[in-house]
Amino acid sequence: MSKEKWTLVIIAVVVAAIVVIKYISGAAHVPIDSNAARMEGPASARVQIVEFVDFQCPACAKGYQLLRTYIAKYPKDIRIQLKYFPLYKIHAHAKTSVLYSECAARQGKFWPFVDKLFDRQQQWAPMINVYNAYNDMAKESGIDLTALNVCMATEGTMKPIEGDRQLGNTLAVSSTPTYFINNKMVVGSKSLQEELNTYFTEGK
Amino acid sequence: MLAGLRILIGLVLLASGIEKTLGPYQNFLYVIQAYQMLPGSLENMVAIVLPWVELIVGLFMVLGLWVPLALNATLIVFTMFIVVVGQALLRGLPIDQCGCFGQDIHIAPRVIIVFDSVTLLLTYVLTRNISKTSRFSLDGYFHQ
Repeated sequence: MSKEKWTLVIIAVVVAAIVVIKYISGAAHVPIDSNAARMEGPASARVQIVEFVDFQCPACAKGYQLLRTYIAKYPKDIRIQLKYFPLYKIHAHAKTSVLYSECAARQGKFWPFVDKLFDRQQQWAPMINVYNAYNDMAKESGIDLTALNVCMATEGTMKPIEGDRQLGNTLAVSSTPTYFINNKMVVGSKSLQEELNTYFTEGK
Repeated sequence: MLAGLRILIGLVLLASGIEKTLGPYQNFLYVIQAYQMLPGSLENMVAIVLPWVELIVGLFMVLGLWVPLALNATLIVFTMFIVVVGQALLRGLPIDQCGCFGQDIHIAPRVIIVFDSVTLLLTYVLTRNISKTSRFSLDGYFHQ
């Protein structure tokens, strides 16, 4: 067999191998679970969004504000579910922020707390100790601090957080923010804006 | 030694290409968007095509197939990387990690630009010594 033919065979084998591996690992379906505390919008909404975020990630804050604008404008059309994807290696407050948020969720105050967390991200992100800033936001959100402290110290609080992270890994989420809009993967706020535009300006 | 260097540079490209082609292209698209250099439609195309280029060029370098062509392609790829990372550094874009090998390997742009420059220089040396670089290669086997 000639060199040219061998070249074609090698390329074909490699491409086929990659395609097969990708197919086997599969386009996983993103489950919208029944965790009402971290869900907003009607179940019948035509745009179902699952977002994986890290609360210290600046792009997540930008994407969150963008989503808030769309939700305010089209409240019946969007349902959003937030999932934790804390980046422990690069963000010092990744763990503390998800713990506070999960405990806020358990008191039914998830969204008011997360709104503040993202709004004031630039203020608390450079801090060494964020507890005072977080406690202030928790109080403003109507959270019972005593119950929150008990929740934070409870071992099981980390379980849903790690569950979300594991789901993210299964879905090949590698950076934040990653969104699944009607099951289509979209990464970053620029792509989020482009994808939302297709639904709300082109009448998809 | 030069053949070993060829294989090593090939492995770097191969590893980078495999990591990106196996994952969703959207992850690499996000990396490209951070460099703010291309228009939207081109960003998409590059996110889909570049990982395959890295993979095929890396494979050819490792196997020693079409060595002169693979070396020139490697020169082009690394020059491109240097330009993209360099302009981001000059513009002071807020990029913590280069995103070159996926999210599991964190390399700062300042570090990767040095690595890319050294690799470019070494690849150039390889192009000047084709016969030694082509040892232990499929090219050598086909020329017998």
